[in-house]
Amino acid sequence: MTQLNNGITLFFSLLVEAMPFLLLGVMFSSVLLLFVDEQKLLAVIPKNVVLAALAGSLIGFLFPVCECGNIPVARRLLTKGAPTAVAIGFLLAAPTVNPVVFWATWIAFRDQPEIVFLRVGFTLIVAVTIALIFSAQADVRPFLQDSLTRMMGEPEPATPVPAEAEISPLLKSGTFLMQSPGQVLQLDAPPAQVLAQVAVAAPPMVTRLRMMVDNMVLELRELGAVLVIGSAIAAFVQVAVPREVILGLGQGPVTSIVAMMALAWVVSICSTVDSFFALSFASTFTSGSLLAFLVFGPMIDLKNISLLLTVFKGRAILYLFVLAAQLVFLLALVMNLYTS
Amino acid sequence: MTSTPSSNGLRASRQRSVPWQALVDAAMLLLWGLMLLRFTVTGKLYLLLHPDYMWLAHLAMVLLLAMGVSRLVQVGLSYRQGTGQTIRSQEHTALLPRQFSVALLIAIAVFGLVYTPRPFASETAFQRGITDVLGQTRSRPQRFSLGGASEERTIVDWVRTLNVYPEPDAYAGQTAQVSGFVTHIPGWPDEFVMISRFVLTCCAADAYPVGLPVELPAGTARPAPDTWLEVKGKMQTSTLDGKRQLVIGDPTLTEIPEPRTPYEY
Repeated sequence: MTQLNNGITLFFSLLVEAMPFLLLGVMFSSVLLLFVDEQKLLAVIPKNVVLAALAGSLIGFLFPVCECGNIPVARRLLTKGAPTAVAIGFLLAAPTVNPVVFWATWIAFRDQPEIVFLRVGFTLIVAVTIALIFSAQADVRPFLQDSLTRMMGEPEPATPVPAEAEISPLLKSGTFLMQSPGQVLQLDAPPAQVLAQVAVAAPPMVTRLRMMVDNMVLELRELGAVLVIGSAIAAFVQVAVPREVILGLGQGPVTSIVAMMALAWVVSICSTVDSFFALSFASTFTSGSLLAFLVFGPMIDLKNISLLLTVFKGRAILYLFVLAAQLVFLLALVMNLYTS
Repeated sequence: MTSTPSSNGLRASRQRSVPWQALVDAAMLLLWGLMLLRFTVTGKLYLLLHPDYMWLAHLAMVLLLAMGVSRLVQVGLSYRQGTGQTIRSQEHTALLPRQFSVALLIAIAVFGLVYTPRPFASETAFQRGITDVLGQTRSRPQRFSLGGASEERTIVDWVRTLNVYPEPDAYAGQTAQVSGFVTHIPGWPDEFVMISRFVLTCCAADAYPVGLPVELPAGTARPAPDTWLEVKGKMQTSTLDGKRQLVIGDPTLTEIPEPRTPYEY
């Protein structure tokens, strides 16, 4: 009975903690949809894939959202035709590489500044590497949920095509609607692009605000439900698995990293506050394992696997998980072996 | 997306249909907002979150209620105008059927409106490793000073001080006045109990227990686990589990009701 009560309390605690961030993320994602021209944002992103991955990883500095909030944004970026490298880089790095988290980590580890900077550095290395690996596949759509690929439309052809301006829209095949002279709407384009073309004729502010709220409700409904399921699983595991089992694993350079990564995965704590959590282990665990916790936790944990499923198919999440785990483990091990 | 007839031009007459889906959405938003409002008003938010992060929960509450109300106003307006406006959707549900998501969210909000979270107690303290008095505390003091009156220190203040300077004899004779719940530690003699508190850094998910041993006066019955007590006594050194430990000796025990904010920070 006590266990059940604890489980439910934990569950509500995780929900109440994550809901504001989910709301902020959904709100930001809706603002992005209606008030920001991602085409312009995406246009300034370098074409070089390494730079694109790095740029995607750094976008988080503009939009401080934690791991509950950044998935709707990454999803939105993908529907707007962002390159895979940008979306994956953003997805993995944004929860950590942003001013709010940096500040929180700084507060927690003021006496170990190397933790603060290495956290950002390691996150960028891992995010860029995984973004590049995913970019190796020209068409990422087999990895994505069908509902998302329907929104995305056809992939960019690998061969460079002449710029849009050189081709009259009327020389393309498809179904078109003439709106005004020189303004043509392609009706059989992917929905996201039709929407983008319609949005050119900017609706009045009231309408846009209403659409924003509509979109927020829609995403909140969907992501809120999966957050509930994820939090329930995380609470169950926390109550069912004694912490001693997880903590008992780790004192050595290798086992401590594994234990801390397992803990990061189980606890599913928000990236904005996980540095305080990690601080409690600062004197018992190796610095490498603390970093592993701080880098790996925001990327993949029990809570956001269910959210990730709204973007990726299970197989892709497994790849993300395995790649992130291996890279974080290696970096943390190097740190443990050479800097202690 | 809504149950309203699609505006495909086939319907010449404007039909007044109740936009059920928008109403259900509004109900979901309002219920979630009310759940957070209830946690706030009843003070149960203190069992879930660290006070520093409460403004976020309050922000979420305001946003949810505002969205719910605006959705209702919107439905009311479009119903009165008889336009039966459909809510534009940008995408379809990816993972879960819409009815399922809404039902789940409403169910959780209703559950949150009737369920009262309970603070953690001694059983959880065991599970989270209370046994080591010199447990890990999250703040690392930059310097060690015994400022302030010793009876003003909370349990977590004592444990933090001990972490910095663990020699129990240094505190001998100091007055301690702390409150917490009773935990029986297996293997301790009958005259010893642990007076404990949970410490929160962000939310209940990372609450960790701290405690101080108390040596009961001879002939005093052991208080039951989870009893909330105020303990006033003098610090002394005793050997427990083969370790010299700081213990509150010669205590006066006063039973107190469970505090509104049972956690320390």
